[in-house]
Amino acid sequence: MKTIITIVRKEFQQILRDKGMLRMIVAVPIIQLFIFAYAVTTDLKNVKLAYVDHDRTSESRQLVDAFFTSGYFTSVGMAENQTKLMSWLMEGKADITLNIPIGYAEGIVRGNVSDVGLIVDGQNSSLSGRGRGYAEAIIRTEAAKLMENKRLEHPELETKMHRIVPVTRYYYNPELESKKYMVPAIVVLLISIISGMLTGMAVVKEKEVGTLEQLMVTPITPMQFIAGKTIPFIFIAFFELAFASLIAIFFFKIPFEGSVLLMIAAAILYLQVTLGAGLLASTVSQIQQQAMFTVWFFLLFGILMSGFFYPVENMPKWIYMLTYLNPVRHFMEIMRGIFLKGVTFSDIIPQFALLFGLGTLIFGTAVIKFRKMND
Amino acid sequence: MRRILAVARKETRHILRDPRSLAVAIAMPLIMVVLYGYAIDMELKRLTVAFLDLDRTPASSELQMEITSSNFITPVQAIPNRSEIESGFRRGMFRAVVVIPEGYSEKLATSLESPVQILIDGADGSTAAVVDNYLNAAIARINRKLASEAFGVETLPIEARTRILFNPQLISAHFVVPGLVALVLVMICALLTSIAIARERETGTLEQMLTSPVAPAQVIVGKVLPYIVIGAIDAALILAVGRFVFDVPMNGSWFVLAGYTILYIIISLGLGLLISTFAKTQQVAMIAALMGTLLPTLILSGFLFATSSMPFMLRQISKLIPATYYLRIIRGLMLKGQLWFPFETVALVTLGTVILSVAIFRFKERLD
Repeated sequence: MKTIITIVRKEFQQILRDKGMLRMIVAVPIIQLFIFAYAVTTDLKNVKLAYVDHDRTSESRQLVDAFFTSGYFTSVGMAENQTKLMSWLMEGKADITLNIPIGYAEGIVRGNVSDVGLIVDGQNSSLSGRGRGYAEAIIRTEAAKLMENKRLEHPELETKMHRIVPVTRYYYNPELESKKYMVPAIVVLLISIISGMLTGMAVVKEKEVGTLEQLMVTPITPMQFIAGKTIPFIFIAFFELAFASLIAIFFFKIPFEGSVLLMIAAAILYLQVTLGAGLLASTVSQIQQQAMFTVWFFLLFGILMSGFFYPVENMPKWIYMLTYLNPVRHFMEIMRGIFLKGVTFSDIIPQFALLFGLGTLIFGTAVIKFRKMND
Repeated sequence: MRRILAVARKETRHILRDPRSLAVAIAMPLIMVVLYGYAIDMELKRLTVAFLDLDRTPASSELQMEITSSNFITPVQAIPNRSEIESGFRRGMFRAVVVIPEGYSEKLATSLESPVQILIDGADGSTAAVVDNYLNAAIARINRKLASEAFGVETLPIEARTRILFNPQLISAHFVVPGLVALVLVMICALLTSIAIARERETGTLEQMLTSPVAPAQVIVGKVLPYIVIGAIDAALILAVGRFVFDVPMNGSWFVLAGYTILYIIISLGLGLLISTFAKTQQVAMIAALMGTLLPTLILSGFLFATSSMPFMLRQISKLIPATYYLRIIRGLMLKGQLWFPFETVALVTLGTVILSVAIFRFKERLD
């Protein structure tokens, strides 16, 4: 035990003495947290809408206004004809175009159907899909309003016409801000990078300068060495977690509904994964750069398949099944749940169990490989 | 020329000898394209919905059937009471609950409107918005049917005729794969070159080379030449996978694309060179390249996240990133069939000139 404490103390001294290291622990995560929180947004805002109004009636203007008061669209102007709209789409000046034909208002008055043309730039499939959904919803709402008027004009139809009215309520994030969902995930990202990369690099550094061999000829056992090397990074990771969570709560106003204890428990299980990964990377690397690359490579996999950006259910079935083996996914779900939904232990037993199993597997493999390497 | 080739040959040998750096240069982009192509699917394909049917009549079951008959909407086990809603959300068992209130069928017969409650897990805001859209569209369809029964008209007074251009099936891979070319070229050209030059500096071999009869310019050109080739190979590989695995179309011209890609490779190399003039060690070069080029390209260029939704400051930064313009060009060419990019060309050339001249100036200065 005393030996472990000595190594821990030595390691701490080494970290605190290194200005670059300190910067990486404190400054880099803050910068990342801020830039990511603002940049990694899946919100739909400022969709560029161009329109052509051939009808020029109060009804057609009402439809155009409905678009701009919705808050999703910004106007890039009225075009004189369809050709112009198409060229704006081609040049990227407009994302969506609306074409109101001649006779639009008359058709409504006569009880015919008036077609309205929407053309969507489909390049960015996610934004286009949602932009299209909003645009069609606006048109539907307009149509419903007109139906309502019709109903008032024809009281005899009244009893026959029935309507189902959806009343929507959002739980946890009523304004549907993507920031609320992303920031807890960014916290996961930060502690993964810090704990995984730094551990890997710290061990390889000893290898690089040859002190690892020296340590191995001392009475220190590999287990003590591993404990001494990883414990400082457990502290640093927890410091990072607390620090980033506080910024999330007080600066970004992310609600924290769950229990701190549950978060700490989950973090301990997750650190087994990242520290294990760092250690594992150190066994296959000769220089720090390789360790860094190796950790980064696996982390990239983990992040991409975690549902960080888009729900994992969207993925093809076989990739979706693979994501169950991804510890990043489970920890991210736990953290998002704790922050936003106030999940309790019984809600996330599957995630906990998988995280525990995967963590033990990764850390165990790392320890075995590390001991073999030093024999 | 012979000297340049000699330096290039030496650098190529360096790369080939280290299997790991070769893996980074060739295998990583391939893995990335497959992974990004499949894993970044932005379209919600399966929307899990639970029903809380408080009415329990044939009419309410029919409503359930109507809603779930829509594509994408997958019903999960019905829930018995309201208290199960939140715990289901917390466990992620479904994304939305449709509550059919008591007396639904009665209202259907007697009154004009019957409310139905839709409760959505809003934690993931943008997915929640899509969920809302799907469910509302399903109910609008039902209403339309009811209206047609009353009026004998099939449709609402206004119909949207929607056409989607450039990516009609809204396939994510068609958006993501061309973007990857921009990302990988920065990775190879800026990251690997800056590390390679910093390594020579670290080990002192750069100075040795400069004292030889090889001119500094020849050293630089010779050193970056293999990376140009690797970058071009990577771009070709990604585009080939995009074409044959993900069916990404090419509506423009390969020839124009090649031209802009060469321009973009040169700019990326300039960035790598610039970073290497600041970095004394490989470590610093790597972190600077990651922070200064790869990360901004990943998140601020419009590769995945629309810059239009970002705050003003970040939108300004994105205008200084070469990838922002290259992305528009490659997507414009492949998806739109656009061939004329006056603004993007001017921006790229300007950025490239500034980056390269500063890099060369600083490199010379450091040698003196």
